[in-house]
Amino acid sequence: MPDIWGLAAIITKMALYLGVLTAVGSVIVALVFNTDHYRGPAIAFGVLGLAAAVLSVSLGGANLTGDASGMADPEMLGLLWGTSVGTALLCRVLGLGLLIAGLFMGRGGLLLSSVGGVIALWSFPLVSHVSTRDTALLDGALVLHLGAVAFWLGILIPLKRLAAVPADWPRAADLGHRFGIVARGVIPALVVAGVYLGYMLVGSIAALLGTGYGQAMILKVLFVVGLLALGAANKLRFIPALKAGDPHAAGHLSRSISIEWGVILTVLAVTAVLTSTLALPT
Amino acid sequence: MTYEGMRIKNILLAGIMTLFATGALAHSAMDETTPAHEAVLTEAPAEVVMNFLHDIRLTRVSMTHADHASVDLDLSAYKGMEIDFTVPMQPMGSGAYVIDWRGLGADGHAMTGSFSFVVE
Repeated sequence: MPDIWGLAAIITKMALYLGVLTAVGSVIVALVFNTDHYRGPAIAFGVLGLAAAVLSVSLGGANLTGDASGMADPEMLGLLWGTSVGTALLCRVLGLGLLIAGLFMGRGGLLLSSVGGVIALWSFPLVSHVSTRDTALLDGALVLHLGAVAFWLGILIPLKRLAAVPADWPRAADLGHRFGIVARGVIPALVVAGVYLGYMLVGSIAALLGTGYGQAMILKVLFVVGLLALGAANKLRFIPALKAGDPHAAGHLSRSISIEWGVILTVLAVTAVLTSTLALPT
Repeated sequence: MTYEGMRIKNILLAGIMTLFATGALAHSAMDETTPAHEAVLTEAPAEVVMNFLHDIRLTRVSMTHADHASVDLDLSAYKGMEIDFTVPMQPMGSGAYVIDWRGLGADGHAMTGSFSFVVE
């Protein structure tokens, strides 16, 4: 069990994942589906990601000393700055800064926001377990995986918002339908990249079943399977029912999205533990 | 809290509890120590030796002996990434000693660990 600083680091990392991925996802979805009302959520989650990125490094200092003094200790923060942690922080501040700046430039700024989003996503291979393997293909697979996760997260807010207003139900059905079409390509990419990453990091069935890292990976996969089932229910049942004018479909869809958020938060928490406290199988 | 809210909270809680129940270990790159973990000695050592699997910058090593308050050991001889560390310690007689260490791996991961031994 991690100590108080380890736990704080895990919670902050979860907030970082949530902030960066939802901000990037909101931008991607706005760009691909021409949705409106994307600015508020994207800014809010972008700011969450920025705050979590800075706090994460500060907590790294506390983890090095074992007390609060490390959070502002120039020697500890300097040590972290000199490693890939410093480079990742730079990418996150720059990337999320561009993403947020683009949101103040109208719809044309979405391109700038997207560039910022890619830079922010590219910070993750620098400091995750992937960084120890030093292969460009693995880095690319992680960014692809995260981009697909962001895309998934990005649809949830606009879809739930539209499903909440009866006058917007046709738009919710249309958005859900169009998302389902694009997801036919994105979700398999997410799964293939995830399986490849898992195979490269865990390496064997024995390590998958016999190590804490492998067992946490199995747990994460189980939750992702649950997410895929919820996504399938949305695509195959609730969206078609909404399109057909079923008055109960919007409520089902909205509840399904709420549960999806719960499962997603759990997956992010498991991933934060996986990347913070568990050693890769050797 | 609504039924839906409770359900989401329960999903989250179940996931976290299951994860911590996997008996997972921290990012520990320790190879071996002298004295060895759980060793029983007849005389207190004047130093502890820690050998890691990879380069690490040790940032804090503390020793707790029996009922005494924890004391930080002197790391001034080490300012960079190393694999092997020999850290002087003040013998405090018989009893259980616990050594806690913290450090930064070359990949930027903070690492922690501990080992203990007994002097009879």
